[in-house]
Amino acid sequence: MSSKNLRALSYRKGMDDNLFDNISDLSYKNGSEEEFKELASEFHIGESVVLGTSTFYDFLRPENVNKKVHVCNGTACMTSGTQDKLSESLKNHFHENEIGHAACLGHCHSNSAFMYDDKTYTVNNSDELAEIIKSKSEKDNKYSTGTNTTPILSEEIESVTKFYSLLKNWANNKQGIIDNLKASNLRGRGGAGFPFYFKLDSASKVDEKQKYIVCNADEGDPGAYSDMYLMEQHPHKVLFGMMVAGLTIGANTGVLYIRGEYPDSIRKIEKAIKQLTIRNLIGENIFGIDGFNFNFKITRGQGAYVCGEETALLNSIEGLRPEVRVRPPYPTVEGLYGKPTVLSNVETFANLHWILQNSGEAYAKLGTEKSKGTKLVSLDGYFNNPGVFEIEMGTPLKTIFEEFGKGFKSDVKALQIGGPLGGIVPIDMIDKLTLDFESLGENGFLLGHASFVSIPVDFPMIKFIDHLLKFTADESCGKCYPCRIGAKRGHELVAKAQNEDFKINRELFDDLLETLEIGSLCALGGGVPLPLKNAMMYFEDELKQYFE
Amino acid sequence: MKAYIDNIAHEINKGETMLEFVRRVKGHDSIPTMCQADNLENFGSCRVCSVDVALQKDGNPKAMASCHTPVSDGQYIYPNSDRIIKLRKNITELILTDYPADKLKPADGRKATEFQETIAQIGIPEVRYPKGENHLYLEPDTEHPYIKSDLSQCINCYRCVRACEEIQGEMILGMSGRGFANSIIKGFDTTFDLSACVACGACVQTCPTEALTDKYETKTIIADEVVRTTCTYCGVGCQLDISVVDGEIKGIQAPIDAEVNAGHTCIKGRYAFEFYNHPDRVKEPLIRKNGKLEEVSWDEAYEFIATKLTDIKDEFGADAIGGISSSRATNEENYLMQKFIRAVIGTNNIDGCARVCHAPTAYGMQKAFGTGAATNSIYGVGITDAFLVVGANPTHAHPVTGAKLKQEFMKGKTSIVIDPVKTDLANLATHHLQLKPGTNVATLNMFIYYLIKERFVDYERVNSRTEFFDDFKKQILDLDITELENITGLRKEEVREAAIAYGSADKAMEFHGLGVTEHYQGSKTVMLLANIAMMTGNVGKNGVGLNPLRGQNNVQGAADMGVQPHQGAGYMDVEDPDIQTYYAEKYGVEKMPEKEGLKIPEMFDLAIDGKFKALWIMGEDTLMTDPNTKHIEKAFANLDILIVQELFMSATAEAADVVLPASSYLEKNGTFTNGERRVQRVNKVVEPIGNSKPDGQIMVDIMNKMGYSQKGYDAELLLEEISGVVPFFKGITWDRLATNGLQWPVAADGTDTKILHEEMCKRGKGRFHYFDYKNSPELEEHSAKFPYILTTSRRLEHYNSGTMTRRTDNQLIAPNDYLQINPFDAKTKGIADNELIRIFSDRGGVKIIAKISSDVDPGVVRTTFHQPEVFINMITGNVGDMETLTPEYKVVAVDFEKLN
Repeated sequence: MSSKNLRALSYRKGMDDNLFDNISDLSYKNGSEEEFKELASEFHIGESVVLGTSTFYDFLRPENVNKKVHVCNGTACMTSGTQDKLSESLKNHFHENEIGHAACLGHCHSNSAFMYDDKTYTVNNSDELAEIIKSKSEKDNKYSTGTNTTPILSEEIESVTKFYSLLKNWANNKQGIIDNLKASNLRGRGGAGFPFYFKLDSASKVDEKQKYIVCNADEGDPGAYSDMYLMEQHPHKVLFGMMVAGLTIGANTGVLYIRGEYPDSIRKIEKAIKQLTIRNLIGENIFGIDGFNFNFKITRGQGAYVCGEETALLNSIEGLRPEVRVRPPYPTVEGLYGKPTVLSNVETFANLHWILQNSGEAYAKLGTEKSKGTKLVSLDGYFNNPGVFEIEMGTPLKTIFEEFGKGFKSDVKALQIGGPLGGIVPIDMIDKLTLDFESLGENGFLLGHASFVSIPVDFPMIKFIDHLLKFTADESCGKCYPCRIGAKRGHELVAKAQNEDFKINRELFDDLLETLEIGSLCALGGGVPLPLKNAMMYFEDELKQYFE
Repeated sequence: MKAYIDNIAHEINKGETMLEFVRRVKGHDSIPTMCQADNLENFGSCRVCSVDVALQKDGNPKAMASCHTPVSDGQYIYPNSDRIIKLRKNITELILTDYPADKLKPADGRKATEFQETIAQIGIPEVRYPKGENHLYLEPDTEHPYIKSDLSQCINCYRCVRACEEIQGEMILGMSGRGFANSIIKGFDTTFDLSACVACGACVQTCPTEALTDKYETKTIIADEVVRTTCTYCGVGCQLDISVVDGEIKGIQAPIDAEVNAGHTCIKGRYAFEFYNHPDRVKEPLIRKNGKLEEVSWDEAYEFIATKLTDIKDEFGADAIGGISSSRATNEENYLMQKFIRAVIGTNNIDGCARVCHAPTAYGMQKAFGTGAATNSIYGVGITDAFLVVGANPTHAHPVTGAKLKQEFMKGKTSIVIDPVKTDLANLATHHLQLKPGTNVATLNMFIYYLIKERFVDYERVNSRTEFFDDFKKQILDLDITELENITGLRKEEVREAAIAYGSADKAMEFHGLGVTEHYQGSKTVMLLANIAMMTGNVGKNGVGLNPLRGQNNVQGAADMGVQPHQGAGYMDVEDPDIQTYYAEKYGVEKMPEKEGLKIPEMFDLAIDGKFKALWIMGEDTLMTDPNTKHIEKAFANLDILIVQELFMSATAEAADVVLPASSYLEKNGTFTNGERRVQRVNKVVEPIGNSKPDGQIMVDIMNKMGYSQKGYDAELLLEEISGVVPFFKGITWDRLATNGLQWPVAADGTDTKILHEEMCKRGKGRFHYFDYKNSPELEEHSAKFPYILTTSRRLEHYNSGTMTRRTDNQLIAPNDYLQINPFDAKTKGIADNELIRIFSDRGGVKIIAKISSDVDPGVVRTTFHQPEVFINMITGNVGDMETLTPEYKVVAVDFEKLN
C-alpha cells in the first residue's frame, strides 16, 4: 500500500487537528499559497500533497470555492427536466460565476434542487426562490415514509438513554455480538452486500491499540437519499451501531464521513452527538463499562463521488487524495491511518440495535433466504408518492411501485435501480423482479443502494448514457488507466455521435466496456458498463442510429 | 502450497504476489507492467499486469491485477489468456490516445525506454478513437540544471510520485486535479528548479517514459560499456552503474541489485561527475621554479622529490618528514602511502584526513569495544525499534542512509535526535534534544542518568559482557542534574522522556557524525555512546549498535590501512617491538620506526618551530579544510618541501613546491570501505585524464625510485598483499568482493561479518568509562569577547572543500556558503535575510551572506565551508579533541556584524 509516510504523518496530528479539515478550511478561506505551504510544513508533508488534495474536490478547487449557490445535476433532477429553468432563475440573483453544481442533493423526490447558504432547497416558482435567497431560512426536505414490515430502521425511539443502555447487555459478551450478527446474515447496505459480521470479527482479532469505526455516509449515488433519511430522522440508530461496533472490536473513535451535499444531515448528526454528550453517553468508561471509551468525529465530504468507495473514503479522512487503494490489505487490518477499521454504510449500522435487541435469528426471519431483513428504497419524483420506504427484502418491485409509490405521474420507459452503476431496467421487466440482491443480480441488474430513478418515455436513452459516462469521467479518481482514460473516451464517443456526423464503432465500444469492466481498479470504472450494456440490449432500436 | 500457471502446478512462496510468482517461474517478460517497480509499493494503476484467475481448471475466470494480488493455494492463473491479451492491447490503445505518436519507438541512436519496450511486448495497437482531449500540449520544464520534465509523455503511472515519497521521502512530486485532468506537479505546482527538489534522480530513474529525464538523458544511452563502481562522495558507499561511450562518461544510474543503495543514490553520486574531465584538471606534474609552478616530466618530478627527501632525511632524520594520506583514495593507495612513509622513509609520521573528522570514533570505540568500526549494518534500520541520532545530519551528508532513516522517522518510529540544529531528521523525530553546542557529554550523562533511574539497564548483559559498570553507575548517580540542565539548556523532563523512549525499545540503533567527534570532548562522547548501547543490551544483534556515519568515502578504509601515527595497517601498535618485527617482515625491511608519529596539528606546530621539513599530502585540501588557516599557511611557508597529489589546483596545491596530477576515482581500480565495514570494488571507468596517474601508482613509482621494490599498482595484487598483513582482511580477494563487497572481518574462507560483537567483543569485555563534562577552552577563553557559537556543517550538494562538486552543475544549485542566524539574533543586530555580513573570531574575520533561520537557537550560528570565497576556516580555532586532536569545528566563539 502506497503513501505510508503521508498517512503516518497525518496520523501524528490526530483527529483533532485533522489534515483534511485543515485543507478544507484553508480552501474555503481562499488561503494564500504561503498559508498552504505553512500547513504542509506543520504536517511535515510536501507542498504537492496539500495542493494535490485540494484540487481533487469539487468544492475546494480554486475555481469553485467562491460559488455561492450549487444547482443539483443529479440523475433524478436531470430526468425531471427542472434544472435548466432553475439555473435561469438563479441568474436573476447571482452572477454566473457564483453558480456551481452539486452531484445530487437528495431532493430526488421533488427535484428543482439547489444548495445555498449551507442548506438545500426545492423551489417551485420564482417568488419562492426570491424569498429563499433573501431570508436564507431553513425549509424541511419533505417526502413520504412508511414500511411494509417490522420497522427495524424506521421505528421511533422513546428515550435516548434507554436506547443506548442496550450497550450494557453486551459489554461482557463481545463474541455474542459477532455471533448474533452472523446469525442475522446482515449484509452491507452500501451496495456490495458483504456479510457485516465478518468485518467485526476480522478487526477484533487484530492486536492493535488504535482502531476505528468509520461510517460511510457519503451517499453519492444520484437518486438515493435513504442514508440522508436515517441521519436526519433516526440518527441514534446510526450512532448506536457505530458505538456497539466500537465496543466489539475495541475502537475508541467513530468517524462519520458525511457528504457536503447533505449539510442538514451534518447538523442533525451533530445535534444527536450533542444529546449523547449531555447525557454522558460518550467519552470514557461509558455506562461504567471499564475501558469502553468512544467519541465521534464528523468529516465533511467536499464533493467527490469516489469517496463512497471505502478506501478512497479512508484516504479522504486522512487528507490524502481520495484515490482507491489496492486490496489487500483490507481496511479491517489496515484501514484509517493504517489501523484496523470497520467501515460500513449508514444503513448497515442502523440495523444493529434491532438485531442486538431482538437477536440475529429474529432478524433472519425477515426477507429471503440470502437477503435478510429490510431495505430502504428511495423513489424519485416521477412516482406519485415519492419518498423513502422500509421494505422487507423479497418484496416484488411491483408491490413497492403500487402500494408505496402509488404509480407514476407520467409514462416511464425504464428505471435505473441502485445508482449510476446500477442496472437500467426496462419497465416491462419490473413485474418479474423482487427487492433483494439475488433477483436483481441474476437478471443482470443490481440492488445497489436501492434507489429508483425513472427514465421517462421521452427522455432519449443516448442522453442518459451520455450522463452516465460524463458522470464517471468527472468522478473518476484518475488512478487506474481504464477508468481515467476509458470513461473520458467513452463520453467523447457518445458526445460526438450526438453532436457531429459521426457514428460509433460498435466493436470499439464493446472493447471499451470490457476494458472498463474487467480492467478497472474499483467499482466505478468496473460498474458503469452494466447500465450501458443494459441500455444497449433493451433500447437497441433507439440507440442503433448512433453506431456504425 | 501450489498454484497453477496455465494448468501446470508450481510451488508458491509465502507472501508472494501473483506477479512475483509468475515472473519467478516464467521469467520477467511473462507479464508486462507499467506502474509496477520492484523498489516501490504496489500500486495497481496501469492494470496491464492483469491475469485471469480461476478457482478450478479452466474455470470461470476473473481478471485480477497480478502486481497487488497475493497468490493463494490452488489458484489457476492464466497470465496470457486471449481475453487478457486483448485487455492489455485495449488499455495500451487508451494510453496511446494521450501519448505522442512519435515516441512509440526509440529515437535514432537511443535505447528504448521501459515503456517503449513494454508496448512492443504487448504489441503496439492501432488507435481507433477519434482525437479527443489530451495533454500533448504540455510544455517541457527545463530550468533545473539536472532534472527535466516533458509531461506530454507522462502516462500517469505515479512512479515518480511514489519514488519521491517512498525512496527519497521528499514529496516534491505530487498529483493534482482529478480523473483525466490529473497532472504531475512539483511542489506547489512550480518547476523543478523552484521547488525544494533535492535532485536525487529517483523519479527520473523510475519513470518508464521520457516524461522525466535528466541533463544526460541517462536512461536511453546506448553505452559501449556500463561499469559498476563505488561512489566517492561519502561513507555510504553507493554502487553506481556508469555508462561510457567513446571513452567518456555519459551518465550514471543506481543499480537495483546493489545491497547498499538498491537503486537509489543522491545528487552527488548520480549527477556530479563532470568534474572528472573539467578543464581545470591538473594534467602534468608541476615544480615550483623561481616562485612559479611549472610543468615538468614525471621523471623530473620524481628525481626532484627523491633527492630532496633523501637530503632532508640525511640532514634532519626521517622524523622531519611526514605524510597526510586521503580518505578519498582507495585502500590500496592508503596502504601504499603509509607503507612508503613507514618502510621507505622510516617514520610513523603518517596521518590522514580522518584526523579532522572521525579519529575520535576509531579511538573511542577501540577503548570501549576494541574495534574502531561500526558495530552493525545499515540494513538493520528496517528492523530496529528506535533511533538515537547524535550530531549527524545524514539527509545532507549521507543522503542514501539519510533517506532510509527518514522513511522510518516519517512512519513515527521512536526517534531521538541530539543536535543543536533543527535538521531534517530532528524535525521529524519523536524527540529532539536541541542542546547547546559542545555539551554532548553533559547531555549524554543526563540521558544515562535517566536510563539508570528508570530501570532500563540490562544487567544480564552488563554482567556477562562488560566491565566497570558499577563505578560508572555510581558516578552518574552522583551527578547534579539541575546543573546539567543549565549547561545543556535542556529540560530534565525532555531528556527523561527521550531516555525512556530509547530504553523502552526492544532494539535501538545509534548513529553519530561529526557533531560528536569534532569537539573538545569528542572521543569521550563516543565512549558514552558506547556505554548507552552496552548498558541497554543494544550490542551484538541485528538492528542495534553504534554506527558512525563516516564523512568521506573511505575514512574507515584509511584507518584500517594504518593511516594514523600510532597504529599500522590492521590497527597494530607501532611502538610494540613484536609488531615492529611483524611489519618489518611483511614489508621486507630491516627495521620499522620505533616511536609513534605526529598527528597533523603536531606536524604544523613543529614545522613552525622549524623541526619538521617535508610534508607529502595526498588528495586533501588541508589549507581550506583544516582549522585556523593562517596558522597552516605559516607552517607551509616553513617547510623545505610540500608535495601535493591533486586533481585540481586547490588552495593547498597552490602553496605546494611539487604538484603531482592524480587520477580521480573514475580512472582507477581499487577498493573503498564504507561506514559499515563493507569493502567494495572501485572499477576503472575511463582512462586517466591527461598525464595524471592514480595516487597508488605515484606511490609505487616513488617507492621504487627511492630504492624499495614495490610491484606496480594493481588492486588485485595489492589486496593479496594487504590480506597477508591485515588480519581482518584475511579472506578478501578481488574476485570474492564481486558486486556487493564483503564486510570485515572476513575469514580465510571468505565469510564476512554483518554484525560485530555477537558473542564477546575484541577486547573481551566491553568497557565503561565515565567522564565529567568540561567546557571547551575555546569558549572559556573567547566567549566573553565573542559571545556567539559558530558550528559548521556540510550541505547536500557539496563535498567538503568542493574541489569536485564546485566543478559540476551542483554549483549552480548551491553557489554560496551562508550563515544561518536565529531571527532573534538577526533582529538584535539589525541584519536582514540575504545581507552580506562579517563574522569574526579571535583568529580573524570573513564576509558571508546571512540567512535568517529558526533551525538554530539564539546564540548559535551555523555555516558550511565549501566555497573558497568565504574561507570559513580563517576564523576556526586550534582547540581539538583531548585524545585525538581532532579540531573542534563545531564550537567556535564568534561575533558578527553588519558591514559598513
